[in-house]
Amino acid sequence: MIQVKEVVKSFGNKENLNKVLKGISLTIKDGEFVVILGASGSGKSTLLNVISGLERPDSGRVSYDSKDISRLSDKALTEFRKDKVGFIFQQYYLLPNLNVDKNVRMGADLAGNGEYRQIIEAVGLGGKLDKYPSELSGGEQQRVSVARALAKKPEVLFLDEPTGALDEQTGRLVLDYISKLHGKYHFTIVMVTHNLNIAEMADTVIRMNSGKIVEIYENQMTKTAYEIGW
Amino acid sequence: MVLGIKDIWKQQGIIIISFCAVFVCTLFLNYNIDVASIENNITSTQVRVLYEAQLMSGKVVCSLCGGSLLATSVIMLFFYIKQYIDSHKKQIGILKAIGYSGFKIAKGFSAFGLCILFGAGGGMLAAYGIMPYFYEVQNEDNILPEYSAHFHPILLICLVIVPALFFAVVSVLYGCRKLNVPVLELLREKIGKGFKAGKKQPEKELAFLVQLRKNTVWQRKSLVFFIAFAAFCYSSMMQMSFSMEELASIVFSIMIIVIGVILSCTTLFIAVTSVANANAKSVAMMRVLGYTIKECTGAVLGGYRWIAYVGFAIGTIYQYALLKFVTTVVFRDVDDVPDITFDFQAFWIALISFLAFFEILLWWKSIQLGKRSAKEIMGE
Repeated sequence: MIQVKEVVKSFGNKENLNKVLKGISLTIKDGEFVVILGASGSGKSTLLNVISGLERPDSGRVSYDSKDISRLSDKALTEFRKDKVGFIFQQYYLLPNLNVDKNVRMGADLAGNGEYRQIIEAVGLGGKLDKYPSELSGGEQQRVSVARALAKKPEVLFLDEPTGALDEQTGRLVLDYISKLHGKYHFTIVMVTHNLNIAEMADTVIRMNSGKIVEIYENQMTKTAYEIGW
Repeated sequence: MVLGIKDIWKQQGIIIISFCAVFVCTLFLNYNIDVASIENNITSTQVRVLYEAQLMSGKVVCSLCGGSLLATSVIMLFFYIKQYIDSHKKQIGILKAIGYSGFKIAKGFSAFGLCILFGAGGGMLAAYGIMPYFYEVQNEDNILPEYSAHFHPILLICLVIVPALFFAVVSVLYGCRKLNVPVLELLREKIGKGFKAGKKQPEKELAFLVQLRKNTVWQRKSLVFFIAFAAFCYSSMMQMSFSMEELASIVFSIMIIVIGVILSCTTLFIAVTSVANANAKSVAMMRVLGYTIKECTGAVLGGYRWIAYVGFAIGTIYQYALLKFVTTVVFRDVDDVPDITFDFQAFWIALISFLAFFEILLWWKSIQLGKRSAKEIMGE
């Protein structure tokens, strides 16, 4: 379980301080699919970075099963990310000089996962192991980044606008893969998006505005990637 | 595309190398031209042998130093232009999209000729500054008849003006060639662009970090050349300088050691900085996933270690073989030429100082990469 308590995060200097997170508190259960929804500048990506241990909060706590990660050293935070979390970003961030197989192995080696090729197969790229990122379409690149994130067997998967750079058809395909793999491996998903329709896939939706949570609700009926609007 | 003085100044590598090349060539060519004027005054056979040996050593030094430094400058120039185009793809793409031709944009690259003008001009000035002392040392035994230093405008034309023009033309032509790509390819800055599989060869089952190290090294062959060349220069020129004091003079010795250290350290610094900058995003992503900074930098920088050491070893063999050749073949008719043996003291001094510089440079770049937050690098 992830617990976020009174998290505050600001950027800038004293004269020009920009308070991005203004006392955020929330709880995420194991295996839950959570969407953080909000307009640009609402603080949703910063919240994701703080929860995932990419950034430290100015004050407040972020705990994983009662272990506070907000005051960990850099080394301990790296170890935490290695053991617990996976990331998928809008811009993929694949290593351009490595092929699909080795990009996914980047995640797999951290977890000692020798069966990572099953995940590549699962995202439909089994026939493109030797392709380099420049030889793949945007959707294929994002599926490589999904496979890379899952190959390290994360307990929590963080996604920052994963379909932001994709067209509708490819976006649905990627979300469908993520959703199916979630059903199979039961990891927790925390996804940031500004797309209200994608929120219908989640168990819980956290709506943010101007650095504050304005609403948290649970979907009674979740939809698949092909049932939601776009 | 207009290159500013700031862009030109960033090419310190070329400026320093051209400075060194022209400094050495001016000293020896000017000396050779001046000494040639006293040829008719030489009557003794022994003096003539010394005279010819001095002319020959000047030619050897000029062709070796000048040639290798010129080749390095050209390669470095191509490397810079490619890097400049890669980092300004979008701007260049916009210019092409609104109707500028590749040639019109590439014309701006002629400003790279200014690097040579600055470097070569500075090298010539420095050479003329040290010239009287150099002449004094060359003839300190007063074996050759009296001669003095003169300024020869032909050297200014051949060593400064022509190379600057040559580099300006080469820059434009190379720029044209590199800009001959569709506009959309320049505008679309897709992640992973620029790396193509090339000849498909099945990759062995290597761990990720091992594979990354291998690919990082071999997909940037120009950097492999620069690092090996820098280590080669450091090793050969530093060890050679120890023997030069005995073979020629202390001026030679100091000149070789200073040029060697400046040239190799600058080249190493530029090459390692380029590797670190080019891989900053990859390192950021690896850190996000949970790789330690030691693992990251070991994979992207560590692969160049053995290349540097191989370069160093070749430099050691080269300088010994060259000195042996010069003393036994070139100066075979000259009396009192000292016998050359392998100088272990010079070898250890060169090796330890090189190891210290290279490892400190790698360590410093690792610290710099580690200090930059993943968010900062990925936001670029």
